[in-house]
Amino acid sequence: MNFLTASIESLGAKLTGWFSVGYSLFAFLAKAGLLLMHPGTWNRATFDVVIKQVYFTSVQILHVFLGYSLVISWLIVSIILSTARDFGLSEFATEMTIRVLVLELLPFLTALFIALRSGSAINTEVALMQVNNELDALDHCKVPPMQFEFMPRLIGGVISVITLAGLAGLVALLVAYFSIYGISHAGFEPFTLTISKVFDFVIVAGLLAKCVLFGLAVTLIPVVAGLETPKKFFMVPVSVLRGMMRVFFAIIAIEVVSLALKYI
Amino acid sequence: MARVSPDLPLRANLSAVDNIALIPLYQGHFNATESGRQALMLLEQLGHAGIAPLRDPDMTPAQRFVTKLARALILHRPRLVIDRPGAMLYDVPYPEFIRQLAGRVEATGVWEIHDFAWNQPLYTP
Repeated sequence: MNFLTASIESLGAKLTGWFSVGYSLFAFLAKAGLLLMHPGTWNRATFDVVIKQVYFTSVQILHVFLGYSLVISWLIVSIILSTARDFGLSEFATEMTIRVLVLELLPFLTALFIALRSGSAINTEVALMQVNNELDALDHCKVPPMQFEFMPRLIGGVISVITLAGLAGLVALLVAYFSIYGISHAGFEPFTLTISKVFDFVIVAGLLAKCVLFGLAVTLIPVVAGLETPKKFFMVPVSVLRGMMRVFFAIIAIEVVSLALKYI
Repeated sequence: MARVSPDLPLRANLSAVDNIALIPLYQGHFNATESGRQALMLLEQLGHAGIAPLRDPDMTPAQRFVTKLARALILHRPRLVIDRPGAMLYDVPYPEFIRQLAGRVEATGVWEIHDFAWNQPLYTP
């Protein structure tokens, strides 16, 4: 009987915890969304911080990211081409490359890349700011932390995921073209025809929505996890651990839902 | 009221001048260049222009105090409260140091120092 009670209590505590995390995420997002629409938010200072965030999150890592996309694309394209040839399905290789790489794998890997590089840094920084009372100090000086610290990170994350996933997709398309047709413009027409067939409005809108959700997941979750940190230094690693686990599950959930909506 | 307190730290990843410039940037809606100029001018007035590029972890306690004081002064509030200076200025004889800083700036308003009772003898001239 005691075991049953303890199990129910533990399950209840977990459910309440998940609900409370979900609530704080959506409440924070709603607050940021409302602030985003407020004309007073868009002053020179906030705009400067957004530019800095985009620079640190995407421009600074561009060469590494493009190299990494090139290698991954080349590997996956080679695997798809050789498998398609083995099964006599060469005419579907282009479409398969676009569907596997450009629509699914590269946005997913981009989100993981930014989560590991910037998401963990954001989580640690916000947790340290919370523990150090830096947010209270900003409040005292009437510098709104939401405008100065958090919202630029959310916007920077979303812009970075969209642009990096787009660039990676472009690299993948170039790699696919050269792998299939070689250095010749003979295949340009069938290749672009396949691209236009795959990228209809619904697919493009879905890809954009997925990238926006990825961008929010890799920035919003670390910010909220950082803000939840109790004011004790030894809790900072625990906060980062929790935040990054949530980011991982959120990225997987977004990808699974996107696949289910597209193919089931 | 503007406070200089050990409970209100500087933003650790910003330099001294950027910490101060945040206030004209957000409250005065000045651009980044003008805000930085105002912040630097205040540090010059306080006789510590050299600390402008330093970040919090690279500052001595006195330099950190000067930055916090400049941040409080640029708020232009009628009361300035220095809370437990002994907890922030443990590397300089602090009542004299604060007196020197106060003499350098053209601040209007009231300066108050809230210190522990047992430090009272330090303030007797």
